[in-house]
Amino acid sequence: MVAVNVSSQSVLWPQTFASTAIYTTPTVNDGLVYVATYAGEVYALRAVDGAKKWVYPPKDEGYIGAVVGSLVLANGVVYTASSDGNVYAVNATDGTGKRVTDHVLAEKLWTSPAVMGDTLYVSTFDGRIYSLSAQTGASLSWSFRGTAGFASSPVLYGDTIFLGSFDRHLYAVKIGSDEPAWRFPQEKSAGNWFWACPIVSDDIVYAPCLDGKLYAVNATTGKEVWSYPTKDENGNPSAIVVSPVLMDSLLLVTNEAGSLYVFDLGTESGRQGVPLTTIPIGVKVNSSFCAQNGAAYIRGENDSLYVVDIGTGQVGLPIPLTG
Amino acid sequence: MLNPWYLIIANPVLNVLIALSHILGGSFGWAIIVLTIVIRLAMWPLTKRQLNSTKALQGMQPKIQELQKKYGKNQQKLQQEMMKLYKEAGVNPLGCIWPMLIQFPIWIALYQAIVAALATTPDNLLSLAHRLYSWSVIGQAIPLSSYFLGLNLGASGNFLLAIIVGGTMWVQQRMTQAPSVDPRQESQSRMMLLMMPLMFGFLTFLFPSGLALYWAVSNIVGIITQYFVTGGWGYLKFSFPSRAPAKK
Repeated sequence: MVAVNVSSQSVLWPQTFASTAIYTTPTVNDGLVYVATYAGEVYALRAVDGAKKWVYPPKDEGYIGAVVGSLVLANGVVYTASSDGNVYAVNATDGTGKRVTDHVLAEKLWTSPAVMGDTLYVSTFDGRIYSLSAQTGASLSWSFRGTAGFASSPVLYGDTIFLGSFDRHLYAVKIGSDEPAWRFPQEKSAGNWFWACPIVSDDIVYAPCLDGKLYAVNATTGKEVWSYPTKDENGNPSAIVVSPVLMDSLLLVTNEAGSLYVFDLGTESGRQGVPLTTIPIGVKVNSSFCAQNGAAYIRGENDSLYVVDIGTGQVGLPIPLTG
Repeated sequence: MLNPWYLIIANPVLNVLIALSHILGGSFGWAIIVLTIVIRLAMWPLTKRQLNSTKALQGMQPKIQELQKKYGKNQQKLQQEMMKLYKEAGVNPLGCIWPMLIQFPIWIALYQAIVAALATTPDNLLSLAHRLYSWSVIGQAIPLSSYFLGLNLGASGNFLLAIIVGGTMWVQQRMTQAPSVDPRQESQSRMMLLMMPLMFGFLTFLFPSGLALYWAVSNIVGIITQYFVTGGWGYLKFSFPSRAPAKK
């Protein structure tokens, strides 16, 4: 885990966790950085220097299962789904926590829970969506059973959950309903899984797919608005592995081959799926990224961070994150 | 462009394995067992040829042993005489090796398919996405459950399976390995007979249980086919010395 000063473009601090991978995207709140490891530990680090504030479970209490899905922070509680099939709730301030699920939800949970009010929604690889009490973790009356496993975490928009499935469809499920509101594509399937979470803006679902396309789908009807095929340097489709990012009216999406596509949703051409610009980063991208103040911060598979100026299309020199 | 190995062999085996898993009620364990048996049956003509060659060589053992006794100290002469014997009997001593070599790619593909299909890490699952067909049955099967009869097929370190794999491999080898009258050769053969099962038993302990299941089933099917083709337990009977009292 590395913190980078974006002004000086230098590494602020590194924090090492004993020989394990980190799949989760860090969550920053109130001077603390929350991150979980594949070894099954949830950490709170001080944002200023990376010092460990707390770890859950404490060292003498072993581990929870491997954590893959990102942590969710709501109401002062950090929620994490674990590969042991349970959901855990950890006090964001002092790190005291507990298993909140009253039974194992699935063989493994690699997705992130979604929180709305006092309810947690969890999608599983065996095709279920569970609703749980955020306070007690008790299963609530509504759950949904799909025909195939869910590959992505649930995304809430209004009273609807959007998520991708291993059957190569994107699903919209109204909370409380036993049947999906729609599935996309309606007839044939897409070219691959909807692996990363979609994002929703102005009633349009932007769904990245491993077939290399970004699909824009009407959130109400499930009809395609447009789709944009991303490519590698040879003109072949390149998978989109991570979720798009919305920065003001700009929709940013990266593909595995390492190109950043920018759609300006504030313009007519952007709303029709024509990218404003395409910026080649020059390195494979498989990690989630962030964007702020006109720049995108993208980690390449070469363990370097790239700062991309969206306005000029300039890609800064790689900032090494290791060694 | 897709690697021909994946296009022609590895991906078809992987997709059939996953589809089979769905057809068999979502049980990856049963899919491994059924596919191993199906591939063994499909390979039957080759296996039969291999076993017949082995059987023919076994039938020649008395003559070979005679030659070993006679020319044991002159290896060059022994080799010449043995080649002459093979030629007269119309047996190719390599006849049991070629069918085995031809089967190798299939077994390697099956081995790779089991590892890939189990997708024990997020990286593996993501890689799997690019190797799957768009069959609806595949979409409904993924991701596979790792559990089968109390075994975690994705976990390593199963001692019982290691013993079963090592044991069945020893039996299968013992059925075909003829004793030699040359003490040095006999000692080498005995060492090999012990080392291979021990090595595979150890590997079984280190690799995911799904692979161990495949090895165990493959060995058991091999023992059964060998039993029926060669007409019995072969040289395994030599492992059980007579308990009759020694003559004074």
